[in-house]
Amino acid sequence: MSAPGTTGSGFGRVLVVVYGIFAVAATARAAVQLLRDWHEAPLAYALSAFAALVYVVATVALARGGPVARVVAWCAVGVELVGVLAVGTLSVLDPAAFPRATVWSGFGQGYGYVPLVLPFVGLWWLWRTRPRPDAAPPAAGGSPAPVTSAHDTPEDVA
Amino acid sequence: MLSPAGPGGLPPGGRPPRRGPIPSGRSAAGTLGGVVLPLVLVVVAACVALAAWATVFVVRDRAVVLRQLWGAAVVEGLMLVQCVVLAVLGLGGTAPTDPVLLWGYLVTALFVLPVAALWAFAERTRWSSVVLAVAALTVAFLEWRVWQIWNA
Repeated sequence: MSAPGTTGSGFGRVLVVVYGIFAVAATARAAVQLLRDWHEAPLAYALSAFAALVYVVATVALARGGPVARVVAWCAVGVELVGVLAVGTLSVLDPAAFPRATVWSGFGQGYGYVPLVLPFVGLWWLWRTRPRPDAAPPAAGGSPAPVTSAHDTPEDVA
Repeated sequence: MLSPAGPGGLPPGGRPPRRGPIPSGRSAAGTLGGVVLPLVLVVVAACVALAAWATVFVVRDRAVVLRQLWGAAVVEGLMLVQCVVLAVLGLGGTAPTDPVLLWGYLVTALFVLPVAALWAFAERTRWSSVVLAVAALTVAFLEWRVWQIWNA
């Protein structure tokens, strides 16, 4: 598996490819919608463009890796999660508000619910590849970082 | 750009023609139009086969091999042929109702497998096989959309 801190190798490449596909698909869709049919459903189409932007940022950040890119990726994937949950819920509760579909409508059912699953996988991957202190070798794989026991609080040391 | 649905793209025994009987005059466009569905099916079948091949490699924990990339190149060639056929049909007046959408999908589909091929060189683990499988299935999906849009 990939070394801690790198998000763009191993399984990460699959993630980057899927994010890339969604970035391209959402961007193309938003471009067509905005350029041609803007008046039909401004809210839905603005959301499409926003979703496209989020996917593009997430793709680039995940592919680059590194400390800054990781922060950007956390934010982008987090926004994506909030977006798909919010838009998905709204589109189910109030379909009239979304007369035209976006990537996130109905929790991404038009795309096989991949948009719903993707942010969870992205967050999991970012957490999994998080940089760790040098003390523990990364060989342990996916096991959670050892938590310092509750007994040794710094205050007691004095 | 609205043209009679005509013979182009209609599968034999598929949907009933929307505007009268099939015109026999434009036989050239007619025969070429009959190629659209077989081409889509061939590309989809090739993609599914490539995805299955890659999946076998995933299971066996192997990276993509050059032969699979040749397979991807064949799929790309088929898609280029498809683009030429659809372009000729479009120029001949048998255009779909939404050419922008159609060409958006066609051009996008052309880029998917080359990216997977680049990944195959960069990532020499089983994950390159996963990427190839995902890419091939994506192209198959895009082709299905192309067929939908062509008939819209």
